[in-house]
Order: sequence, then C-alpha cells, then structure tokens
Amino acid sequence: MKRRLPWWLGGILMSLLLIFTFSVFGASRPLGASTYVPYYAGILFGLSPDDYSYLKIVEKPGAWEGVMLLGSLVGGFITSVFITKTFRFSIIPTGWKVYKNNSVKSRLFWSFIGGFFLIIGARLAGGCTSGHFLSGMSQTAFSSMIFGGVVLVTLLVTGKFFYKGASK
Amino acid sequence: MSIGEYFSSVISGTANMFHIVATEGHGSVLMVFFIGILFGGIIQYTRVDKFEKIAGFAMGKDTIVPKMLFLAIGISSIALYFAIKMGYATYHIKPMILSGLIIGGILFGASMAVFGKCPGTGPVSIAEGRIDVLVGAIGGLFGGYVFDKYYDTFFKAVMGESHGKGTLVTVAGDHATLFVLLFGIGLIIVAMAIPKMELFDDADLEKLDKEERPDQNQLEDFEVVK
Repeated sequence: MKRRLPWWLGGILMSLLLIFTFSVFGASRPLGASTYVPYYAGILFGLSPDDYSYLKIVEKPGAWEGVMLLGSLVGGFITSVFITKTFRFSIIPTGWKVYKNNSVKSRLFWSFIGGFFLIIGARLAGGCTSGHFLSGMSQTAFSSMIFGGVVLVTLLVTGKFFYKGASK
Repeated sequence: MSIGEYFSSVISGTANMFHIVATEGHGSVLMVFFIGILFGGIIQYTRVDKFEKIAGFAMGKDTIVPKMLFLAIGISSIALYFAIKMGYATYHIKPMILSGLIIGGILFGASMAVFGKCPGTGPVSIAEGRIDVLVGAIGGLFGGYVFDKYYDTFFKAVMGESHGKGTLVTVAGDHATLFVLLFGIGLIIVAMAIPKMELFDDADLEKLDKEERPDQNQLEDFEVVK
C-alpha cells in the first residue's frame, strides 16, 4: 500500500470531489470550510440569531460545512491510522522546533492567535482556501483571484520574516 | 444559565445543525458527511494538512500545496465550465468586496503562515492528534464569536460594498470557452512547472518501513526535519 499520495493524484481526486459536490448529483453547492466556525461559535457562546444578523447569514452554509467537516475528521482519522500511519499526539510540529523554537508556550500562543485571525480574515473576505481558492477560482471568479493573490504574497512574506533560516 | 442548561443548549444547537442540512436541499446528511470523509481523506493521504507542508511553503521549502492546489483548480475550472453549460451544476460566485478581500486576505495569509493550517486542513490535523491545532481551533472559535458579535457594528463596514460577481466567463462573452480553456490549461502548466520541493517530518516517517519512506529514492529537492 502506498503511504503517501503524490500531489498530482491528490489534485485530480480533489477536482473530482469538487465537481461532484458542485453537481446536481452531489450537493449543488461549492466546497467550503470557514463559515462553520462563526456558525458554531454562535451555538457555543449562546448568541441568538435575533440579536446578531451575521448568524442568520451563516446559518445554512455553516450547518452544511459543519456536517462536512465532521466527515473530514472521520476521513482524516481513518487514513492517519490505517494508511499514512501518522496518528500520534503532539504539541509542537517538528518544523516549528527546527525553524522557530522549542517552546510549548510559544507554539500554543501563536496557534491561538493564528486560529483567531485566520477566521476573522476568512470571514472578512467571504471564504478560505476551500471556498475562495478551490471553489471560487474554479469558477474563474475575480473575487477569488484577488483573495488568492493577496494570500499568496502575504503567506510568503510572513513565512520569510517569521521563521529563521527560511529560503530567500 | 446553569452548566446543565448550557450543555443542553449546545446539544440542541448541534442537533439542529443536522436538521438544517436534512431540510436544506444541498444533499442528504449522509451525502454531505460522505463528501467530508473524502475531503479529509484526500487531504490527509496527500499530507497537505501538515505544518511542514503549509508553513514549509511559506518558508519557501515545500511546494506540494501550490502544485496540488493549482492542478485541482486548473482541472476543475475546465470541467466545471462544461458541467454548468450542460446544466449539471450552477455558479456560486462570491462578491467582489474589495477591502474585505484585501484586508481579509492579508490576515488570512499571515495567520496561515504562523499557524501552518487553514480552516479545511485544521480539522484533519486535529483528527491525527495535533494538540496545537486544537488550541488554534479554539482561537478560531473566539474569532468567530468576535465576528458574529461585531459584524453589524464594525466588520460589515470594513468589508465594504460589493463590486459585483464578475468572472472570466461574464467578461469574455462569446469567447468564454477559449478563455476558460486558456485559464485552466495555464494553471495546470503552472502546477507542473513549479519546482517540486518537500519538507518531510521524520516523526511521521519513522513508523514506516524503509522502502515505504517517501524520502527514499527522491530525486527532487527535499529536506527531512528531525
């Protein structure tokens, strides 16, 4: 059994899944992931849609993406245990240890901050890697191309300054 | 609210989530769940949820994420164009809210580099036992809470007005087919042309037999972190 899927096969399979999801045989909608977060935050923090209009906007796509992401937890768990054999508990990624530092506090602090602004950013733009990059650019949408360009540049610039020993 | 009341409100909210999907008409709950299993499975099997793949790309040490992403978009843009033309799918375009896209993109790109995850790959990493990503997801839930709470009074104004839902297809008119083919083929060529570089995590590879390790017999540029 192959323990890693090559990038080209992953790309082909991902596009098949995307087209299936878009089609009337699948879900008649794009793939997306980040709308789920404000939707479920509303449930966890006990916010009422009557008081906060954003909850009304995200209710339906948020619920859809919630069920989809529950599936992705199961899918990721199955392949990590049985195929790639990468399931293990860890706190600091190896790459962080080598290119940033060995501090649990630092990694958890930056994870929290990163997760926080990742969602604020995705919601300001109206989508994330799945919704804008994959689904949006596949529809040749200008909004997604603008987002994609800004994200690529910021990602590379941040990576260069945030990590030590990053390639030029 | 007591702790018991709180948990029962969360449980009923979660049950309602399944109810919404069941009645919304975008696939049955089982279908959506199944799409998720494949989504998580493909991401995990290709390892693009790894810190070394996403933050590694930000550092200029790994190019698997852009290669796979551009290939997927290239193929999908062509296939989706014809699927929509034949009536098997419809467009779902996000509006051009310029300041939202730019400010959101800057925050998103910087966070992705630091966190090493995005909203779709995060859950997959949690499923394979990454505790730091779970902490990041809690940070994300707080982000979602802040966005919910201050959308009307702050974020909505930051996002700005929509400049429509333009696409290559809408501006190209009669030449739409040609434009989409050029766009799709162009992206496939870009995906193949990006030099393949990989940053491997030895903690993941050490459980594999020697001949199963992807860093064996690699001809391309790669590095293993221990």
